[in-house]
Amino acid sequence: MMEILSKAAKDSIFEVMETMFYLPVEFVQESILGESGLYEKMPGMACQLEFTGDFSGYLTLFIPKDLLIDMTKSFMGESQKNPEKDVVLGTLTETLNMICGNALSRVDSKNPFQLDLPEVIDESKLSQTQTFIIMATPQSMMAISITMN
Amino acid sequence: MSYSILIVDDSMPMRSVIKKTFKAAGYKNSQFHEAEDGEKALLLMKNSWIDLVVTDYNMPVMNGLEFVRALKQDILFKDIPVIAISTEGNESKIKEFTDCGVAGYITKPFTPEIVRDLLINILGEESYDGDFEQSGEGFDF
Repeated sequence: MMEILSKAAKDSIFEVMETMFYLPVEFVQESILGESGLYEKMPGMACQLEFTGDFSGYLTLFIPKDLLIDMTKSFMGESQKNPEKDVVLGTLTETLNMICGNALSRVDSKNPFQLDLPEVIDESKLSQTQTFIIMATPQSMMAISITMN
Repeated sequence: MSYSILIVDDSMPMRSVIKKTFKAAGYKNSQFHEAEDGEKALLLMKNSWIDLVVTDYNMPVMNGLEFVRALKQDILFKDIPVIAISTEGNESKIKEFTDCGVAGYITKPFTPEIVRDLLINILGEESYDGDFEQSGEGFDF
């Protein structure tokens, strides 16, 4: 199931990033954050979203701050030249919400999944042993992990 | 034509994106109202004339499904068309909304083309301003 969900998450990231942010992305590798090169892009922002259904777990999304600010400007339009922190964090949580909902809809299940509200987390609490899917945009990278309960 | 459209979503960035996409879809002349959950939307609707409601599913206080059920039970609001927008594309979730009487369902992520086609289907060809902007970096407000 992890393999299916991982493929669904990658496909969803492609669709969400291209449709809502006009950002082409490509898959780089699956690795722990320390080996991904993403720490060189710090500071970043992270959030988590729990889901329950035929199987349960949560997704964690990490995006470097500079990329997230560019995504917010693209998402909101030119009216957001210097987006405030709550707008930037709102873009982060909405991005994870779209990726998670889109990914789970690609997975065959008898019952619909229930998604919790996404929650911003302290980036320093990100697992150093968890494997993340690393994706690259033209200017930066981002990472997402899937944890099954 | 000009419509009074209520957007119900707990995410402020998402409310802005929905508004931006509706304008890009050819509904620039419409007036947009916003509420962050179903309960606040019902309060707003008591004091404002609304022609179309666009609601998210996953919201605190009163979720989108509870909100649509409340609307459809109210004699003042039951005939107002409702579009549900959600990240969840599961067929049974969509059926829950259509069984409640929503006029349309949009799955995130979405494009101005998807919004335009659905609005024309619900509001009619004459509702469309004809000033459609292709999706892509070009559309903005």
